[in-house]
Amino acid sequence: MPLDTSSYSLALLRLDGRRWNELRRIHAQISTQAAVDGSSYLEMGNTKIICTVTGPAEGRRVGGGGSGGEATIQVEISVAGFSGVDRKKSGRGDRRIFELSYTIEQAVQTTLHTQNYSGSTISINLHVLTQDGSLLAALINAATLALIDAGVPMSDYLCACTAGSTTNTASSKGAPRPQAALPGLSSLDEEADDPLLDLNGLEEQELPFLTVGTLGASEKVVVCIMETRVQATRLEEMLAVGVDGCKRVRSIMDSVVRDHGKRMVDEG
Amino acid sequence: MPPTSSQLLLSPAELSYLHSSLSLTPPIRPDGRTTTQFRPLVAESGIIPSANGSARVCFSDGTEAIAGVKAEVEKSQWRPGSTEQSLQVDEDGGDDEAGQAGTQGTGENSWISMSIEVPGFRDDDALPVFLSAMLTEALLADGKLKDRLWINRRFHWKLYIDILLLSAPLSYPLPLLSLTTHLALLSARLPKLKSEGDEDPLFDDDWEASTYLYPRDTKGACLDRPPITLLVIAVGPNFVFDPSKEELAVAEAVIALSAGTSDASTLNKNLRLLSIRTIDPPSRLTPLGIPDALSSAATGSAPLPPDEQLAAREGTDEHGVWNPPRGGMKRAVLAQIIKAVIEPGGVAQEVMDGLMHVEV
Amino acid sequence: MPISILPPAPAPSISYGADPSDSDDDFDLDGDIDMEGTSRGLKRPRTSQRHIVTPGELVTDDTQWMRGHGAYHPPDSTAIHSSVFGTILKTNKLLSIIPLRARYTPEIGDLVIGRIIEVQQRRWKVEVAAPLLASLPLSGINLPGGALRRRTAVDELNIRNFFTEGDLLVAEVQSVYESGQATLHTRSTKYGKLRNGFFMSVSGAGGGGLARKGGIARSRRQVFTLSTGRGGGDIDVILGVNGFIWIAKHVKPKMEEGPNRLEESVSMDVYSSQNNDIGVETRREIARVAGVIRALVEGGRRVDEEMVVKAYEVSLEMEEGMDVEGGDFLGGEKGRRVVEAVMSG
Repeated sequence: MPLDTSSYSLALLRLDGRRWNELRRIHAQISTQAAVDGSSYLEMGNTKIICTVTGPAEGRRVGGGGSGGEATIQVEISVAGFSGVDRKKSGRGDRRIFELSYTIEQAVQTTLHTQNYSGSTISINLHVLTQDGSLLAALINAATLALIDAGVPMSDYLCACTAGSTTNTASSKGAPRPQAALPGLSSLDEEADDPLLDLNGLEEQELPFLTVGTLGASEKVVVCIMETRVQATRLEEMLAVGVDGCKRVRSIMDSVVRDHGKRMVDEG
Repeated sequence: MPPTSSQLLLSPAELSYLHSSLSLTPPIRPDGRTTTQFRPLVAESGIIPSANGSARVCFSDGTEAIAGVKAEVEKSQWRPGSTEQSLQVDEDGGDDEAGQAGTQGTGENSWISMSIEVPGFRDDDALPVFLSAMLTEALLADGKLKDRLWINRRFHWKLYIDILLLSAPLSYPLPLLSLTTHLALLSARLPKLKSEGDEDPLFDDDWEASTYLYPRDTKGACLDRPPITLLVIAVGPNFVFDPSKEELAVAEAVIALSAGTSDASTLNKNLRLLSIRTIDPPSRLTPLGIPDALSSAATGSAPLPPDEQLAAREGTDEHGVWNPPRGGMKRAVLAQIIKAVIEPGGVAQEVMDGLMHVEV
Repeated sequence: MPISILPPAPAPSISYGADPSDSDDDFDLDGDIDMEGTSRGLKRPRTSQRHIVTPGELVTDDTQWMRGHGAYHPPDSTAIHSSVFGTILKTNKLLSIIPLRARYTPEIGDLVIGRIIEVQQRRWKVEVAAPLLASLPLSGINLPGGALRRRTAVDELNIRNFFTEGDLLVAEVQSVYESGQATLHTRSTKYGKLRNGFFMSVSGAGGGGLARKGGIARSRRQVFTLSTGRGGGDIDVILGVNGFIWIAKHVKPKMEEGPNRLEESVSMDVYSSQNNDIGVETRREIARVAGVIRALVEGGRRVDEEMVVKAYEVSLEMEEGMDVEGGDFLGGEKGRRVVEAVMSG
């Protein structure tokens, strides 16, 4: 059990030494590739993503462009075989990858000003180099940075991060406990039930978590995905912690972008 | 024949200019390079700590590739007839190879698996399939790599090489992928074996004790190196290395040459030619240029029907008009190319030495 | 050493979490207006070099400003926010934000180089590295036989003989639709099909960052002729605003006099795809000019006539001084030295 409940409640430290509301180290760079319109490289802890954006551009084939007055957005995700601990080659038809790319497409659609370039296509290519939790969040952040680099107009940064909870369904307060008759389980009442920010790979495997994406520093939630089960009462605090984490992610991404711009202006 | 990548669109006037420049003696390349001069590239290795070996190479035209090598233990399938060859005791006295002395068995070709991801192409499209076939062929050609994957009679290492091309391929990506794979394999390490004989394999947890996949001596110099594949184009009597996408578009013949080391003891002498593959030159698919004499736009008359136009065109052979090349390449040119690649101090040697300095 | 393998550039050190508002907060918009109004009567726009804005950032609440490119009003608000990452440009009462890096956006009067992608019944679709393909109608080109000649059905049949897929041409942007699609025309002898030379495009995608880092500046002299050393003769250089560049041997156009002296007549070989004879020295110098431009772009410098000419002369001088071991290749180390010499000299 990666999150050894007894040690957590004693020292309130997670296995990698973080407290419940600490983000992992985020490192990002934009304009990493000269040959494309926009590119970025993002690390959230050990999750490393490279993103390239081509466009807006018109496809060579007539009619391959947008549907009446808006630009089309295409998202392609490729997960490298060496990205996990075990080598795993996922084909293009993988359901999980399809869901991720659909989510990102819809999310990006809400922030980009696509009505400026009707008939053109914006292609976003995401490559996952290593994964260690918060995959969807890192993909969204990397895509945002690359789109900013490409100069595509948007309403605001699209930032995402994960939030989880240390409780599991069987032991949260107020839930019906069919195992109440079994001895020794009453001690589970005392465990800490903090929400957690920015889960790594091990934590994601064991604990319930959700990915939340917001539009900039506002509290408007654009993406909220949860694939695990959690007690309904825990949801609100997880969401609050996640939205707060997104604000912090935005300021980090903003300083990366500004820094890059300052260097460009000074040199040019 | 392996297909060409997506076509670069050029006008007949440009094609004719590039072709005539490259046909001169000495050929004039559009960026002024010599025939054996490569464009500067950026390379680094060990970028993916969770993989056994990894590398990233960027060419100066902006194309980039990342390769990762992962090794996993797999149960061997018993093959009839293989037991006689295994358990060759192979001790080279006098060679101080770290941790390589001992028994070795023979390996199987299926123990090496390569997959290439090219953006915009599916996994079963022609381009990724051919690229991975050509690169795997070169790796297996010397036969020694797969032997090093043998652990004992019941288990072996399965080597997975995953290559990601990070930008859409405008010029044939083969040399970029080959250099990236070379660097990734050069830096790849396998954990040290602690178990003995045919028992279940047990490895040392200390990564510092791991051994390189391509063995090195105690001073750290490479005793063996992976092969590299180079792309060469021929225009008339000239040949040119590291072609840019414009040069590829007018080439009369495109060759992929794989060169590798021969024997551990003769590392500094001649390299071996491992394979030659011809690639369909994209120039064959370009349309004919129209000479002024036949241009109907100038006279304002209606254009001729296509077959009459072709017949009229066949008769002319004027300078400055683009003619897609016909026929193959001369044998003498092919011989010169091979010599330039594998002679001592030749192009392959220079490239390998350059890459070695990245790793060491 | 025919191959040079370089280590990657180190990642830039970034100060995370620095307060973004401290450097460019509260810049005085009103103060700037007064200065512009009184001291200079010109409508010349002023770019604030240091005021970098990022998407979503509030630029101003002041309702006196109208919003231009790169800015937007969030719903239910009259405040102006930036939608791109760039610098602020104030032109009288118009506030726009110029992105530091973006695809080329066509504007009326731009001189661009384009490549024909598609041939339709009465027009061509041209790639100009913009979000949408530009359109060149049949009525927008010069036909041999007089500028006022009527377009006939034969001309439509002949359309592929004027321009076919893959042809390169230099044209001017006549108009721009609201969607951003440009309409081109080549109705002048200085426009038309390009031959006798070599094409290159700046910054891979072609045209990012016009007057900024490594881009083509919109200046009056985008077409110029270099007289080269080493027996190369004259070389024409066309710097398209969209980042496409054409370098060719200068060939005197055959001017035919029309019946009326004032009328410019178009000669027969305007639509020719046949190259003239080009000498070895000229080809070498064309390669040198291409290398010089590439070095300027890689060094992040402006590309315009003055810089290209200076860099070319510097590279000729450097050639005299040292041995020609590396050939004429101006990438990498040699290119960097040329750019440094240009900036200092």
